[in-house]
Amino acid sequence: MQEFFGRFHPVLVHLPIGILLMACLFLLLSVKPKFNNLKPAIPLLLFLGAISAVLSAISGYLLADSGDYAAALVSTHQWFGISVAVLSSLLYFVNRRAKTGKLPAVIAALLIVLITITGHLGGSLTHGADYLTAPLNGTKKVTVAIPPIPNIEQALVYKDAVEPLLQNRCYGCHGSEKQKGKLRLDLQAYILKGGKNGKTVIPGNSDESELIKRLLLPNSNESHMPPAEKPQLTDNEISLLHWWIASGASFDKKVKDIPQPAEIKPVLAALQQGEKNEAKVPELPAAKVAQLDEAMLKRLAAVNITVVPVEQGSNYVSANFVNAVTTPDSLVLLLDAMKAQLVSLKLERSDFNNATLKGLKNCKNLMRLSLNNSGVTDNGLANLQGLTQLRYLSLASTKVTVNGISSLRTSKTLKELFLYNTLVKLADLPALQKLFPGCVINLGGYRVPTIVADTTEVKDVKPKG
Amino acid sequence: MTRDELNTQRLVKEATEKQAQANSRRHFLKESAMGLGALAMGSLLGGCGSMFSQPNTKIAYDPAHPLLPKAPPFMGKAKSVIYLHMAGAPSQLELFDFKPELMKMDGQDCPPSLLKGKKFAFITGVPKMLGPQANFAPRGQSGIMLSDNLPHLSTVVDEISFLKAVSTDQFNHAPAQLLVHTGTPRLGRPSIGSWVTYGLGSENQNLPGFVVLTSGGSFPDAGKSVWGSGFLPSVYQGVQCRSEGDPVLFLKDQDGLDRDLRKASLEAIKQADQQQYEEYNDPEILSRIAQYEMAYRMQISAPEVMNINDEPQYIHDMYGTQPGKASFANNVLLARKLVEKGVRFVQLFDWGWDAHGDSAHNSLNIGLKNKCRAMDKPVTALLFDLKQRGLLDETLVVWGGEFGRTPMMENRNGVQNPYKGRDHHTSAFTIWMAGGGIKKGFSYGETDEIGYYGISGKVDAFDIQATILNQLGFNHEQFTYPFQGRPFRLTDVAGKVIKPIIA
Repeated sequence: MQEFFGRFHPVLVHLPIGILLMACLFLLLSVKPKFNNLKPAIPLLLFLGAISAVLSAISGYLLADSGDYAAALVSTHQWFGISVAVLSSLLYFVNRRAKTGKLPAVIAALLIVLITITGHLGGSLTHGADYLTAPLNGTKKVTVAIPPIPNIEQALVYKDAVEPLLQNRCYGCHGSEKQKGKLRLDLQAYILKGGKNGKTVIPGNSDESELIKRLLLPNSNESHMPPAEKPQLTDNEISLLHWWIASGASFDKKVKDIPQPAEIKPVLAALQQGEKNEAKVPELPAAKVAQLDEAMLKRLAAVNITVVPVEQGSNYVSANFVNAVTTPDSLVLLLDAMKAQLVSLKLERSDFNNATLKGLKNCKNLMRLSLNNSGVTDNGLANLQGLTQLRYLSLASTKVTVNGISSLRTSKTLKELFLYNTLVKLADLPALQKLFPGCVINLGGYRVPTIVADTTEVKDVKPKG
Repeated sequence: MTRDELNTQRLVKEATEKQAQANSRRHFLKESAMGLGALAMGSLLGGCGSMFSQPNTKIAYDPAHPLLPKAPPFMGKAKSVIYLHMAGAPSQLELFDFKPELMKMDGQDCPPSLLKGKKFAFITGVPKMLGPQANFAPRGQSGIMLSDNLPHLSTVVDEISFLKAVSTDQFNHAPAQLLVHTGTPRLGRPSIGSWVTYGLGSENQNLPGFVVLTSGGSFPDAGKSVWGSGFLPSVYQGVQCRSEGDPVLFLKDQDGLDRDLRKASLEAIKQADQQQYEEYNDPEILSRIAQYEMAYRMQISAPEVMNINDEPQYIHDMYGTQPGKASFANNVLLARKLVEKGVRFVQLFDWGWDAHGDSAHNSLNIGLKNKCRAMDKPVTALLFDLKQRGLLDETLVVWGGEFGRTPMMENRNGVQNPYKGRDHHTSAFTIWMAGGGIKKGFSYGETDEIGYYGISGKVDAFDIQATILNQLGFNHEQFTYPFQGRPFRLTDVAGKVIKPIIA
């Protein structure tokens, strides 16, 4: 019941802030004769403000009792809040008595300062201490990037693996500032002590530990942790916590001193590698480009070329010329018109040839190009030399040879090259691989041999009744 | 008056009457009463709609060009999908899920703990346990276990992610198939191919965006609803093509009707439709016009794409295809050709995987083996062929049935079936995916030691649908369509993207 009234605190506090600030402002202004007409409103405003301040203080006291908040921060806020309540009541009486003099104005100025501090402290309690300054520092919340652990076996299980995880996912509500459900997860003593609902961590028994139980509840369950709208733990992270608790929830052991069942090995290995450490190839060029204009899109549509943004809101496009009805010359022009926006292109028809590729010379952002089944030969490939973003090139079923491909060796970005059914021979592969280090070259020509079973049927030998 | 004149006169009269009907006073009052009410209601509901049902994913639907390609909400790895559905439900215990412990129990009575509170399609009383009717071995570099029923697929496991602990809550074919493809066991919702073509359109305007091919001599139990468009505009339903004879029935011009005349008659129909549209403003009429126009274009392009005769002999050898015959293999090869031409969603149904053991062709040691022999080679060829053409990265291949099969031998009506067979099983079965940004050579999820329940990595149809949409660039929770006053989605209120299998 107490807590119920306590929960009105966040609503009530806005009243004294608004009313008292207004009262103080009027009071300070009315020192000047010009604002004399404000005077009659001041006593009433002060009265209402003082009453609401007292009510806020009482409700705040009840809320603090619930224990969901950091004790130290609460206590400062509490005393500032009480002083606001006292001082505003005082001001009300002083103002009534002293018709003249500077005293009310001095108290009013002091009150403004107190209200500001109290309000800020209150805000810090609900939103977190760094809420206000976070945008300035450019930091987002308390999540720290978990660095890869160089040698997981030598690492301390709690300090290096568990603590950063708890810090990322739990401290926000169960840390030094907030203790939802009276639970803190930032220090050994608190972790073992548990929260309102009993033992959070039972060393050696992860299945009975509230921490694991809550993590494993379906997201839709109200007791699931973290709350559904917050970032969730990955399967690996849950496995790690499960294993840590099952193995006795040690706060000082090294990983190598704890028995490691087979299931946990890949999880530990992943910790050592860090989260996808390999430099991620961006899916789109970083530069911004202008949108293809409407008239151009209409022209492209009119000749059955499908051009579509790679994702909603992007100006980069992918194009497919499968049904294009156009002459080779205008084709070059159309390609050139899309040169900045084009990132993915299919020119997969036998009537597209070396001349067509001239239109690609300036498509600096082209990342995926398929010329399968086209009439392109070695001579045309020279037009691709300037494509500095090209990652994927498919030339299946064309007449290109190893010489033509070699002319692309300046491309450092190429990651996938498809040369099935071309004039490139298996013997050329080692040389090509040298020219394109780090590129997967696929010559195809896979065979699925026909075995006896493919063409015969299993017969029913001894029919039973 | 000649007969022709008489006919014309009759037609004119009929048209005039129809027109008059639409303009009667009663009609006007009826329409306006309903219309005004609807107007008021609409503005009221509109107010609610903007608050609660505004879909986050905006799909621009242009009824005049319903299949034009559209940008996905985010950049997906996959551009198209080939969904291979083995209708009847293949036995995971003879193909993918290796259970040596089950062998030890072979022939024993089923423990009561497995039967308590359970309902089966056919099993009654106490059935016997049935050990795996195939030999398993680790395959490829990934060492994934596969049975000797799949000698070819064993050579390509390093491209595949297996989901070993899929479950469903439907133990009859039709509802289970509907659940897999439309997200509900009941009729009336759009199929996944319809959702995808609605959301993404198609890259080739001369072909349908969503093509369905069936084999095995029978339609899936759930009928054509598994590729229906439900409440989505009807233009997004799957177009069923045939692998034998004309790819689409009645696509050829009749004798004596040349292409110009066909064009002229279509033009006349278009004008009539256009008039109807101006009168009634029903966007379905525009869709219909678009469909006629596509059909006209398809007359040229469909026979070309749907003809596998032009493929070189080594491709036929690879797939095991025989031109001119209706077969699953031919359909698989067609699927590759269609995807190559920019078709968005190709759905294959192969009937005949229902190995109950009630007859030879429905048994694990005869019928199932023969189904495997007809499926193994073309599917393996498909993965290799897509790979060498640089298409596997952007084509998501899904293979699966509607549920699994029991570790117990079926005893229909309490009597042992004449052949070795298994009953329908909902708690655990295998579905696999390859390409389209899915992990290679990976196995996710585990079943208990007899393959009865999933014990880790459990997923269901909604999770698979969510994953397919995710690979195409959709957040399944935001991909909605307003219908009957609320936004609907394929996965309804469930589904979680299976992140562990995403590369």
